[in-house]
Amino acid sequence: MSQRTQENEEPRVGVFVCHCGGNISDVVDVEKVAKTISKDPRVKYATHFMFMCSDPGQNMVAEKIKELKLNRVIVAACSPKLHELTFRKVVAKSGLNPYFYEHVNIREQDSWVHSHEPEKATEKAIRLIEGAIERLTRQNPLKPGKKKTVPHALVIGGGVAGLTAALELARRDIPVTLVEKSPFLGGRVTQIDNIYPTGEDGKDLVDDLIQKVLKNDLITVRTNTEVVDASGSIGDYQVTLKITPRGVEEDVEGLDKAIEICPISVDNEFDYGTTKRKAIYKPYPKAVPNLPAIDWNTCTRCGECLKATNNKGINLNPEFKEDTIRVGAVVMATGFKPYEPLPGEYGYGEDPNVITLPQLIRIMENMDPNSKEFIYNGRKIKKIAFIHCVGSRQIEGVHTPKEGKELNTYCSRVCCSTTLWAANRLKKRFPDIHMFDLYRDIRTYQFYEDIYEEASRNNVVFVKFPDEEIPQVKIVKDDKGLFRIETTDILLRGKTVAVPADLVVLAVGIEPNPIRDLIEIFSIPYGSGGFLLEGHPKLRPVESSMEGIFLAGTAQAPMSIQETIIAATAAAGKAATILTKPEIELSPFVASVNLDKCEGTGRCVQECEYNAIELKEANGGKKAVIDPSLCAGCGACVPVCPNRAITLEGYDIDQILAQVEGMLKGVKAE
Amino acid sequence: MEKFDAVIVGGGIAGMQAALDLGDQGYKVLLLEKQASIGGTMIQLSKVFPTLDCASCITTPKMSAVSSHENITLWTLAEPKKIEPNGDRFKVTVFQKARYVNEKDCTGCGECEQACPVIIYDDGYDESLGPTKAVGVPFATAMPQKAVLHDDYCIFCGKCARACPTDAIDFTQRDKEIEVDAGTVILATGFLQTPTIKEEYGGGRFKNVITGKQMDRILAPTSPFGGVYRPGDGKIPDSIAFVQCAGSRDKSIGVPYCSAVCCMYAIKQATLLSAALPLADITIYYMDIRTFGKGHEEFYEQAKAMGVNFVRGKVAKIKEKEDGNLIVRVETFGEDGRIEEFEHDLVVLSLGLVPQWYPKGIVNVDIDETTKFIKLIKPMTDPTLTSMPGIFVAGTAGGPKDIVESIISGSAAAMKAAEWLNGKLRDAFFAKELDVKQVTN
Ligand SMILES: Cc1cc2nc3c(=O)[nH]c(=O)nc-3n(C[C@H](O)[C@H](O)[C@H](O)COP(=O)(O)OP(=O)(O)OC[C@H]3O[C@@H](n4cnc5c(N)ncnc54)[C@H](O)[C@@H]3O)c2cc1C
Ligand code: SF4
Ligand code: SF4
Repeated sequence: MSQRTQENEEPRVGVFVCHCGGNISDVVDVEKVAKTISKDPRVKYATHFMFMCSDPGQNMVAEKIKELKLNRVIVAACSPKLHELTFRKVVAKSGLNPYFYEHVNIREQDSWVHSHEPEKATEKAIRLIEGAIERLTRQNPLKPGKKKTVPHALVIGGGVAGLTAALELARRDIPVTLVEKSPFLGGRVTQIDNIYPTGEDGKDLVDDLIQKVLKNDLITVRTNTEVVDASGSIGDYQVTLKITPRGVEEDVEGLDKAIEICPISVDNEFDYGTTKRKAIYKPYPKAVPNLPAIDWNTCTRCGECLKATNNKGINLNPEFKEDTIRVGAVVMATGFKPYEPLPGEYGYGEDPNVITLPQLIRIMENMDPNSKEFIYNGRKIKKIAFIHCVGSRQIEGVHTPKEGKELNTYCSRVCCSTTLWAANRLKKRFPDIHMFDLYRDIRTYQFYEDIYEEASRNNVVFVKFPDEEIPQVKIVKDDKGLFRIETTDILLRGKTVAVPADLVVLAVGIEPNPIRDLIEIFSIPYGSGGFLLEGHPKLRPVESSMEGIFLAGTAQAPMSIQETIIAATAAAGKAATILTKPEIELSPFVASVNLDKCEGTGRCVQECEYNAIELKEANGGKKAVIDPSLCAGCGACVPVCPNRAITLEGYDIDQILAQVEGMLKGVKAE
Repeated sequence: MEKFDAVIVGGGIAGMQAALDLGDQGYKVLLLEKQASIGGTMIQLSKVFPTLDCASCITTPKMSAVSSHENITLWTLAEPKKIEPNGDRFKVTVFQKARYVNEKDCTGCGECEQACPVIIYDDGYDESLGPTKAVGVPFATAMPQKAVLHDDYCIFCGKCARACPTDAIDFTQRDKEIEVDAGTVILATGFLQTPTIKEEYGGGRFKNVITGKQMDRILAPTSPFGGVYRPGDGKIPDSIAFVQCAGSRDKSIGVPYCSAVCCMYAIKQATLLSAALPLADITIYYMDIRTFGKGHEEFYEQAKAMGVNFVRGKVAKIKEKEDGNLIVRVETFGEDGRIEEFEHDLVVLSLGLVPQWYPKGIVNVDIDETTKFIKLIKPMTDPTLTSMPGIFVAGTAGGPKDIVESIISGSAAAMKAAEWLNGKLRDAFFAKELDVKQVTN
């Protein structure tokens, strides 16, 4: 669309003040704002309206631009994060340069925070708009640059979320590299032999996904691989991968024997420490890739294993390699880990019969399938007590955070259903077992209510304890059981009860896998509990606010398998929207260097966190050159230049000063 | 027959999101909405949990983006009458209800509504709390901003036609059927609240017992009352009760499942009420508080800190007093079955979610026998797939969800639809697979 040559025209400003359905107008006198602003001679039109973002609101802006030949537009409304783009599009459609638009936030930064001072809030709204008028009338018609996208996605994490995202992208003809830090694919779901609500084996579910991924030519799978560095931005990232060698290089005879004779025995993380494994290992027979791997942290390179394979197939001194790939988008699917209780929390670590729910699930799978009795640690288990919300829904003053960490205030969402599902399975296998369920609220939401009903039919005894109370687990070893758990039962009108048990199962919550390194490498915002933060919960639920980074699964929040897979599919869809287009538009708000003024001191180079500036030979000397596709527009380089050679487009110093002056018009220095 | 890549049924938040995602990727979409405006339930809401964004602030721009999108064709007052496979594609027969208003000419000025003598209270936008007319623009932010004439209420007096400055009223319009061709179909037909049939709670007859959606309308910036008043007599309530699981977790009304959003919306409404009526007592009667989503538990804690009273107990019965107040009988604690009675002047039933639309006779997708929602044939690994290849489900049509989950599932369904359109998903269905390659590291 041809743009009018607005830069040469007299500024004709239109100001539209939004009520936000009362969010703003209940505090700010919008009528007064519009009236006051309309006195500025540059303002040709000022009005107020219920919802500027609605269709009639948007149409009004378009019509007034046409009718009154407006060439600068201001909407004073909510945060620009919500609707700056909405109105920029309206302005562009009306034939103006989209950057002749200014969004003034009078909701989050005014009516919401000053709700008790309506008059001052009204005054503030006026001043914010005055400032915007000054800046906008000095604005240049900015033109965003373009950059080619690399049509390739990086998926980090090889659990259900990562496998799903990779597969979905490949089905849209987008090449994918899937990296998994551990030597095996599949993630946590492989550790669950019976998943709610379908009862299928998690390994089968995952294996089906893995087979589809492996069969897809567009997906490159790299296990034992970590992202160690990255540069670039949306559309084009250079990512450095560190590849840990597997140690086992070929499928030769004797590998099983090699595992057997390896002298090193360590806690098996696959069974959450309830069993041991060797330094050369495979978590389960059908693990993919199916070759065993060597755990270099515990392997002593003693060479015993080589004896079993006739010195073949195993390389104990392989090379650790690095590789670089270029990708246009990154899907974060790094998953979760179960909460590890503090020593002594509900008796954990004090008696081996206090276990976590994930441990129980592993123990059940590893049990002798023919055994008619539940024997654990040599003890026949007759009574089991489950305790909910361990490491979740923590309350200040009641629970203790881990060192250097905050309390986990959130609900982990899946533990209620998982606990009762396990209880129902136990009841089926060992009908005589007695089960007690100590809970705060049973959260078997949606169709999972079935699981709760079945548990009630199975005579699980429910004990509801108060939020502010921690049930006391006492080791008693009396004829009733190994433990006695004392707590208040709300269901018995607040009576104190003593629950006997031979096994205490802690329904531990979900924490995100520790990924500080990745968070730093890609500058991804995170929130409470360390979960990755979405750009906006409703407008951008599977995207990070760092453009080009997408969120899939439990790295973002606790989710069930079904919810994880939906989120991964949606995240892949959002990534596909970028990667199926040949180029992306860059933000025009980038720094640029006046080569005549630049003396090549290089201070800006050091200051830039995005590696966007380089010193290059230009204009007869070393000069700073900025790559607009890497520049994030943060402005950090502007003040460090001793020669004022750098300008941030759209925010130059004159504009900012004028904006400040506009806001302070009539205010006298004290 | 007009040809589209995708037909999306239902213009609530899930359907709109699916349409926008497909449209943004260059696919041609036809969005069918049964009502006169898109927006679904979300556009009726006050603020939305857990961020307390105003619902309109998020919904209206999406509605507007849908209506102005070059790749999206929007038909309102339209629903599918038949969806049948047609080779690799689908033939969709659309039932288009007459608007009796020429969309091209209508400017949405509202003169017709002023002129119309028929006043009705229906379960539309204002959930029967406010009056509407037999003709008019559905609501202030409706999309499209066009009047609609309801022929079941209209007395054909012709006053609107005379009042209309652009002669847009057209009594000669008739309902019609249109056939279109589509590569794929997404069902996003949403939910309804559980009907208020429960006799113990008054069976819908008590004036001051309202539904969750009605409370959201009362609290909305566009409230039909312009503030918080009780519908019976306009009194400002000072003791408000919420009854949780009022239409869920209850086999007697055929809704055995948990509706997953009613705990959160009740807490949201209680939070908004404590701000609007700082002196009022607000009590939530519940069995379990299910605040399991991201940021939800913190939202619950905040409501407790604000003084909202949470009482564990099942409401057995509600009785109406002569002055319009209500006596709520609560089994406060299970085992010894003690029953207590409390008086409140306004009671909100936190009703659950049931499917809005039944595909039977229209399209051959399976529905779940117990829940009646559209059946997910691969609930774990492909939760947007229905029993018919090429037809996907989004939002609450497949089971209770909140807005965030509905949006995410809209995006996920759009992704699957796009895969279907480029043939890759079809290959996977019919297992045209390549050789397995080896991963060695
Ligand atoms: C009282 C209440 C308060 C709530 N508050 C919140 C909240 O604060 N935060 C939150 O996250 N969630 C909230 N929810 C839940 C939220 O409303 C839903 O998650 C969301 O609206 C679901 O969107 P949807 O698109 O799936 O369905 P709907 O909103 O029901 O949309 C479905 C659309 O499909 C159309 N349709 C149906 N059948 C057909 C057909 N045959 N042909 C064509 N069109 C058809 C309908 O007319 C409708 O427009 C609340 C729910 C209630 C009841
Ligand atoms: S899901 Fe249940 S056990 Fe888990 S944190 Fe939430 S309420 Fe507690
Ligand atoms: S969400 Fe809460 S009120 Fe709704 S059915 Fe579930 S438990 Fe009951």
